[in-house]
Amino acid sequence: MKKLNAVIFTLLAAVFILPVIATVALSFMVGGMPSMQGYADLLFDCFVFYPQFWNSVIYAAVITIVQLAVIIPCAFGFSQAQFKGKGALFVSYIVLMMMPLQVTILPNYIGLRDIGLIDTPLAIILPAIFSPFGVVVMHQYMKNIDSSIIEAARLETNSVVRIIITGVVPQIRVCIFAVVLFVFADCWNMVEQPMLFLKDDSLKTLSVFIANAGDFSGRVLFPAAVLFLIPVMILYMFFNEYLEKGLTLGELS
Amino acid sequence: MKAKKHLKWNTKCKFCLLPSLIGTAIFFVIPYIRVLYYSVIDNQFRRNFVWLDNYIDTLTNEYFLLALKNSLLLIVICVPVLIILALVISLALSYGIKWIRKTRFAFVLPMVIPTASVALIWRSVFAENTTVLPIYLLFIWKNIGICIVLLTAAFTSIEKSICEAARLDGANSLVLHTRITVPMIAPTVFFTVLLSIVNSFRIFKESYLYYGTNYPPDHSYTLQYYMNNNFLKLDYQSLATSAVLTSILVFGIVMVGMAIQRRYNR
Repeated sequence: MKKLNAVIFTLLAAVFILPVIATVALSFMVGGMPSMQGYADLLFDCFVFYPQFWNSVIYAAVITIVQLAVIIPCAFGFSQAQFKGKGALFVSYIVLMMMPLQVTILPNYIGLRDIGLIDTPLAIILPAIFSPFGVVVMHQYMKNIDSSIIEAARLETNSVVRIIITGVVPQIRVCIFAVVLFVFADCWNMVEQPMLFLKDDSLKTLSVFIANAGDFSGRVLFPAAVLFLIPVMILYMFFNEYLEKGLTLGELS
Repeated sequence: MKAKKHLKWNTKCKFCLLPSLIGTAIFFVIPYIRVLYYSVIDNQFRRNFVWLDNYIDTLTNEYFLLALKNSLLLIVICVPVLIILALVISLALSYGIKWIRKTRFAFVLPMVIPTASVALIWRSVFAENTTVLPIYLLFIWKNIGICIVLLTAAFTSIEKSICEAARLDGANSLVLHTRITVPMIAPTVFFTVLLSIVNSFRIFKESYLYYGTNYPPDHSYTLQYYMNNNFLKLDYQSLATSAVLTSILVFGIVMVGMAIQRRYNR
């Protein structure tokens, strides 16, 4: 029985991982023969690949880092401050978190257009920084931290910034790692925003490059897809063990 | 003196919320109010109030109804399959033998894989677009990771002694899990269902990258296509109206879900 289970699970796992393996395998094939030609074409002939790859890296990295600077204090504020309507405010963050992109993208667009940021890198970066997901996850996690450390830190310093850095951040390390992986992967996967907020091709991301497949010869696509996988895979290898401990979203209400 | 210091600390903590609140106001809340306004006027230039006319137009638009039907079908068919599969896998990962635990990465990894990368392989495998199956499979493949992460976290928080006691009483695995472990993590299961329903509204990216067009076959035309296409046509009125309708639908689902969860917790 145990052996049968193990066999079934190995097969199931193989089915789930197959798309990734097949993508990698096909990137080394051209016209049914093993070949590096796809990579050669992509890296030496396809000049839009480089700026779009780096755009993806820069957008995702900037969004992730700045977002941490916004959501850690915000989650801290939610757990420490006492005021009327706090519960309702937090519920509205949850509701916003649940809203599909197609609901939020029009408000995002209008907000960006009014400030005059359409067709600039900030159009991609700014709305994503204020994505509510991290606030909800971190506030949830902070319910279980040791408040005596914060109390002790308050005796030593008056600066909230220092209290957060010395008293809070070390305690929520695991949650931060999980959020970094999740947010980075989410930004890395952006398709709609660069398509709708940017006109200039040199500002777009690699996901748009792959989405507009028809513009390029087919053989560069699988290599591009593989190179597009690598940064998130590296991040995944470092941080995936923290996912279960960091994302404690089970009991929200 | 002490009271004053306490008050100050509270104010400082409130200030910590500000950056997030300001950003959310600028990019989400204030523009959303304008979306509400767009949904009740005839067009940007004349700005006559037509109240519910846009809503009536949208709700009788055959493409909107097709999109709504397909979006709801996705929820009704895929979410139960996704949750049951995720529960079975999570149980095996939490209570199974060591070899099974090693397969975790195969199920969790897809959640970080960019859709653009795997859409290519999906396109090569499913050459014909006669059914919606490839999109359903892509949805399950992409979303099972987060469900498994949340569910295994909940399973591992159950104390071992409870399972051991049940085993001593002669409960087999099926009884143990259907009567004890799964009911114990019911709030998490509810949340996973809720999250999956909400994520089903986000399927546009997967579908768009798979079909590579704004006009997929009828069976895959979901609400997000309807909205995306109105975005490209710059038809703000239809777009605003469908955004408001979708947000009301999602808001309703979230509120009902949270109410059920709260009731269960009691």
